Amino acid sequence: MEAPQCFSVVIVGGGPAGIGVATALARSGERSILLIERNADVGGVPALYKKKPRGIKSFIQRARLKMMFGEEYASWLKAKLKEVPVTVWLESKVTSIHPEQKTLTVVGPERGCVLVQANAVVLACGAREHTLDELGWVTGARTGRIYQTKGLLDVLDRHGILPMRQPVVIGSHLNAYAVAAKLKAKGAQECVVLDTGLRPSCPWYGRWYFFLRGSRPRFIGGVKAARLTGQGTVARVDLDSGLSFSCDGVVVSSDLIPNSELAWLAGLTVDIPSRRPVVDDRRQLSAPGWFVAGNMAGGFQDADWCYRGGRRVAGEVSRFLRNRNED
Amino acid sequence: MRGSIFYDWPGSGCPSAVQFPPTENPLSTKPYDVVIIGAGVIGAALAYRLSQYQLRLLAIDRRYDVGEGTSKGSSAIIHTGFDAAAGTLESQLVTRAAGLWPDLAAKLKIPFRRCGAVLVAINEEQEAQLEKLRQKAVDNGVLDVELLSAAAVRQLVPAVNPAVRGGMSIPRESIIDPFSVSIAFSEVALTNGADLLLGAEVVDVQDSAGPIKQVMTTGGRSFATRLIVNAAGLGGSGIANQYGGKHFDLNPRRGQFIVFDEAPGSAPGKILLPIPTAQTKGVLVIPTIFGNLLAGPTAEDLPLGDDTACETTSDGLAMMLQGAANLMPGLAHYPRMGSFAGTRCACKQGSYIIRFNDGGPGLVTVSGIRSTGITSCPAVADYLVEGLARECNLQLVRAPDAVDHRPANAWPGWWKKPHRDPAQLKHRPDYARILCNCRDVSKGEITDALNSPLHPFTLDAIKRRTCALTGRCQGFDCALPVARMIASHTGIALDEITKNGPGSELAVHP
Repeated sequence: MEAPQCFSVVIVGGGPAGIGVATALARSGERSILLIERNADVGGVPALYKKKPRGIKSFIQRARLKMMFGEEYASWLKAKLKEVPVTVWLESKVTSIHPEQKTLTVVGPERGCVLVQANAVVLACGAREHTLDELGWVTGARTGRIYQTKGLLDVLDRHGILPMRQPVVIGSHLNAYAVAAKLKAKGAQECVVLDTGLRPSCPWYGRWYFFLRGSRPRFIGGVKAARLTGQGTVARVDLDSGLSFSCDGVVVSSDLIPNSELAWLAGLTVDIPSRRPVVDDRRQLSAPGWFVAGNMAGGFQDADWCYRGGRRVAGEVSRFLRNRNED
Repeated sequence: MRGSIFYDWPGSGCPSAVQFPPTENPLSTKPYDVVIIGAGVIGAALAYRLSQYQLRLLAIDRRYDVGEGTSKGSSAIIHTGFDAAAGTLESQLVTRAAGLWPDLAAKLKIPFRRCGAVLVAINEEQEAQLEKLRQKAVDNGVLDVELLSAAAVRQLVPAVNPAVRGGMSIPRESIIDPFSVSIAFSEVALTNGADLLLGAEVVDVQDSAGPIKQVMTTGGRSFATRLIVNAAGLGGSGIANQYGGKHFDLNPRRGQFIVFDEAPGSAPGKILLPIPTAQTKGVLVIPTIFGNLLAGPTAEDLPLGDDTACETTSDGLAMMLQGAANLMPGLAHYPRMGSFAGTRCACKQGSYIIRFNDGGPGLVTVSGIRSTGITSCPAVADYLVEGLARECNLQLVRAPDAVDHRPANAWPGWWKKPHRDPAQLKHRPDYARILCNCRDVSKGEITDALNSPLHPFTLDAIKRRTCALTGRCQGFDCALPVARMIASHTGIALDEITKNGPGSELAVHP
């Protein structure tokens, strides 16, 4: 491998948090910033919520207290990023990090496999949803047509395919109710929403918002165990209470787990099993100059929270770089 | 000449190039020398061995990939046979196969690692068993086992239960990529001219007493053959009834496993075995060749045809977690990635039922291969080849141009990680476009898998070849991108892409 390419700051992840860090740092005068994004475009999760006629807006931009489609929010972020001098590498995946050397291995079709070095690194890798096994209360068949929210949005919003007509949603967070509303709007029956808590995790105003837009899913709380059955595809969900629901698809729409594995596998301190990276009060990981922003830190807030959080992390990064230069 | 591969899959969920046509029969109309029913590890290993000779071969499987029945879900251990019941055919074949595997795995490019195993005794009662187990191993010809002190066990496996009182090391116990076994055997057989028909279930055998038998499959098709080898796993007893073989009773014995996440550094490099009891072998902790840890299996006898045979249960998984924590307490709260349930082919009349001329000349039954099939399959295949020649007058003439290995450059294989190789990236930038973020599987590797000899096109088949979808996100990031690649590569509509065959489509029909 050739000598590493050097930047002052490298940001891993081009979602709301990464863009928040990049724009704030650039505005503070930092001129050597690299933003690495594994997908073909920046914008992160909001970009998956496509704008559609008669679609349901489900993202809030707090500054103007405005509901919008995720895609619109992602465009707003992209426009912000365009205004500032930041180098962006798309379709580039950080495959490993090396905290001691302050380097990252980056793989992408344009550059191949390269090493990047930085004075400070911000990990803004986002979060993913729990798998069925991580939830721990859903057993049974592992058939086809068991979706997670991301895959469902992909077929529903990007391809316009309604994959199921009789859905059961596992999990009752805001995104579960958003999924139920999207499926309903596309022509599916009202969803059954299952969760372990006695009340839905989705706050009342979220449920109320989707209720007003025609989605009235049936919530079943207090579930201790659920069992999926079916040949080929999932056909039934049986609950410990004796209740049983026929279905032709399941959406797992639970709360989030930080994508903290880059840090974990590099030996930085990560809490197991929550997978939250352990940070100090300056958002710094267990190695100096390595920071975390957005949902990767845990907390699991909306996109705008991640964006604003990223701007605060940028302040810590600036301070770190200043102190470093003074030394 | 290269054999043909077809999928008997009417409709639009199958690429037309490998779709078995609805009316004509593109395979041979001349009788085959041998039709093998079942392309699991046993059937595929036999096809591989027989393809070394000048024979016309056809392997038929009802699933939509090779190795998708009992071969699919296992502990992926290549046993030495140290704890087998001495003197049985099973023990004999397992021991013989254990010696064949290192060389065979290298030839077939199947990831294989001689990691060794440690039997762990955690109380006095168990400690007292160790000497008996050592003697049994020696009786089975496994001479390199060694009794260990508690300190030695702790040194070998630092994460072991601190209550450990002693143990025994079995250095030649090994792990393998279980999926590559059936795939590699079948690919080489295909190269040597064997034909393969997937998605076709054998529904009848006609003229079973005559010199030319007719194997009838779903869709009203028939294939003429001189010999039939029934290696149909749990389907074996039904097919034996069709040709009048001696009756035997099969049932699936379910084994549930928990899959733990890859661990940075702390994972035991060795298989951990509990001291077996009269009832059960207990819960093992097994490093996989993919870098995870497995804990399992259960042993639950279910009736034949039970639809739940491949389903996990909360009780079963809780027991596995408890058993794993008993060997390695840290696993109790270790991140879990997934779980699965596999089946063993259990037979009431005993294990390893191998009968030549079973109910008529030229009919061979292979059944009750239990859980040891993945280890024993090359030795079972040799045993069958010898038996076919001796008992069924199969003429064995070496095929001069037959190969016995997979080419190194056929396609990368998940273990090669071509994105790390700058020389490869120059020619194939798609090796640097990572699609599966947990396992770092690239677009190029998926393309190679789609182009590989069996032309797989279901999500599970791609998963077993590339490791995409097997990471800690379990497809959260890559399920749809992989499905999109299959769709654009094969021309199948995205909503018709299946997990593992008809009936598992991504979307309901409008």
